[in-house]
Amino acid sequence: MLRKIGTSVAALLALAVPGAAAMAAPSPIKIGVQAPITGAYAVEGQGIEKAVKLLAEEQNSKGGLLGRQIEVKVCDDQGQAAQAAICARQLVNDGVVAVIGSYTSGAALAAEPIYARANVIQTSDGTSNKLLARGYKTWFGNAAPNSAEARFTADYMVNVRKFKRIAVVTDHSSFATGLADAVEANIKSDHGNVIDKAYINAGSQNFTPVLTQLKSLNPDAVYFSGYYSDGALIKAQMAQLGVKAVFVGGDANQNVDFGKIAGTAAAGAIIINVPGPEQLPYPAAKAFVAAYQAKYNQAPPSVFTLTNADGMRAVLQAIEKTNSVNPGKLEHYLHNMKQFDGLTGSFVWNAKGERVGSPFTAFEVQADGSYKIVYPAAG
Amino acid sequence: MGTFIQQMFNGLTVGGIYALIALGYTMVYGVMRLINFAHGDLCILGAFVGLTFITSFGGGGHLGAAMVIFAFVAAVLVVAAAGVLLELAAYRPLRKADRLAAVVSALGASMLIENGIMLVWSPQVSVFPSGLLPTTTYHIAGASISFVQVMIIAVSFVLMAALYLFVNHTRFGTAIRAAAIDQDAARLMGINVNRVIASVFVIGPALGAVGGLFVGIYYREVYFTMGWTYGLYAFIAAILGGIGNIPGAMIGGILLGLFNAFAAGYLSSSWQDAITFALLIGILLVRPTGILGERVAEKV
Repeated sequence: MLRKIGTSVAALLALAVPGAAAMAAPSPIKIGVQAPITGAYAVEGQGIEKAVKLLAEEQNSKGGLLGRQIEVKVCDDQGQAAQAAICARQLVNDGVVAVIGSYTSGAALAAEPIYARANVIQTSDGTSNKLLARGYKTWFGNAAPNSAEARFTADYMVNVRKFKRIAVVTDHSSFATGLADAVEANIKSDHGNVIDKAYINAGSQNFTPVLTQLKSLNPDAVYFSGYYSDGALIKAQMAQLGVKAVFVGGDANQNVDFGKIAGTAAAGAIIINVPGPEQLPYPAAKAFVAAYQAKYNQAPPSVFTLTNADGMRAVLQAIEKTNSVNPGKLEHYLHNMKQFDGLTGSFVWNAKGERVGSPFTAFEVQADGSYKIVYPAAG
Repeated sequence: MGTFIQQMFNGLTVGGIYALIALGYTMVYGVMRLINFAHGDLCILGAFVGLTFITSFGGGGHLGAAMVIFAFVAAVLVVAAAGVLLELAAYRPLRKADRLAAVVSALGASMLIENGIMLVWSPQVSVFPSGLLPTTTYHIAGASISFVQVMIIAVSFVLMAALYLFVNHTRFGTAIRAAAIDQDAARLMGINVNRVIASVFVIGPALGAVGGLFVGIYYREVYFTMGWTYGLYAFIAAILGGIGNIPGAMIGGILLGLFNAFAAGYLSSSWQDAITFALLIGILLVRPTGILGERVAEKV
């Protein structure tokens, strides 16, 4: 029964993809997509499905891989753990080499042991630490772990900009203090110099007392981990007080209102965040987003569409380079890449299958309020 | 030294705003023994009215300064009208009722105005256009003071002086003071107490609207929950100075602003509010009626 459905899907695909019928003789390489095609995360799930199908189509138009066509099998996990486990079994039975997805950590987690037992590669944007806990060789997280922002920020400030006197400012929220603590720890591990850690009350608007005090310490950078409405005021009040330090803001500072609130003072502010799909500076990313737009007449819903696309691209590259679909060989290749040029920045996978190399970038706010990526450089 | 002067001006700027808003609390309390919890929201309503005026009549450019003055007039008129309406609808029917009923009504009015602002304007941060006023910065002994700061400090002091003269040196001011001491006796002396109360609900919110619009122009962002934040600070300023006492509210506001600046600057930014309020508790322990308060504060 399953085989029958499989062949009829293949026949349909053969009809849908011109020229495929002629090359249908060797069996196709099957890649699975496990994603929330329906439900609350439907937009994201469909984004993953569309990205994988687009990449498969591009590969097939170049003659496929190892002389075989790529066939995509999709299963809708609805973003739910129970359905995810059913999907995992179904895709394993379908004989896929690798599975792209799911979008949520919970759905990826429920499917993870099933793929591990069947030795099927799984690459997902899930970032929960639980996904790493069992040490499965088949797991490859394609989004950066939660700690990546702090790592990137410290590296940018200490090693790229060579700031010598960094002041860290945060509000009292658990999000902002957590990020500020992590950035501070990372600065210290990079042998950077944190001259002061100051607190503001979010929403209190009057930050001049704190900033006046920071000014007397003569910082060359002020890092703020809180939200844009406060960050923009901090930037504006730094200008008013004549604080010369560079303002560096965490991801919650990215908002169109940042430029409006800070006004002319906004120019020169640095904001650290994962860029949207359209803003990714890499040529491959621009080409992918353009192809996606052309095929589906819409933009990829989020950067996670592209991190999952990176998972797919890495799997295709592994198959090509190892000239094999043997799971052990593919996993060995993926764990030992020197550098993978992703759509979302270059990265590698460590032994735990955790992504090392984040998609974060540093934007500089321009005089007209627009953003310009200043690090890493395009290319 | 530069840092000290800078902190002083930082404190005076917000202190002036707190004082303008605190006057509304203290005047209403003085005459009616009522904490008008909706006062902070009325003040921020002023900021939103001013913003709408500026954006709909094209601010910026050479029209900037004149536009700002018109915006203040519009904010003052609308908020004063809202103040009178508030008194008529929420407080006058309860004047003879239990004191707690009026407090609940005040809290309800606060939520009504706050949510009204959210519905009419936006639950997001609203932003004032830039370039309304000169961005000149004055450098005094190593401190940088902006034109807007100077304007806020100057205008609040002028308004406070004017109010002081009005209350202490005019006939109507005497009527306000008389009604504050004893409403029944004032009525027997031929004072129209309802008019006095209405006037208090005009003057307080009008000054508050100026304070609220200063917040908008100085920081350039306003949002609907801000009335609660500023209202709380101003209320504390009024208590600190001695609630019911007009010069007390002025002194309380200025002191609160200065405390906050010096606490954040010289002690610890993470304990800024804790230090400020510990100081307040200290002062109230020594002077339970506030710095200038003469009457023993009654329970609300």
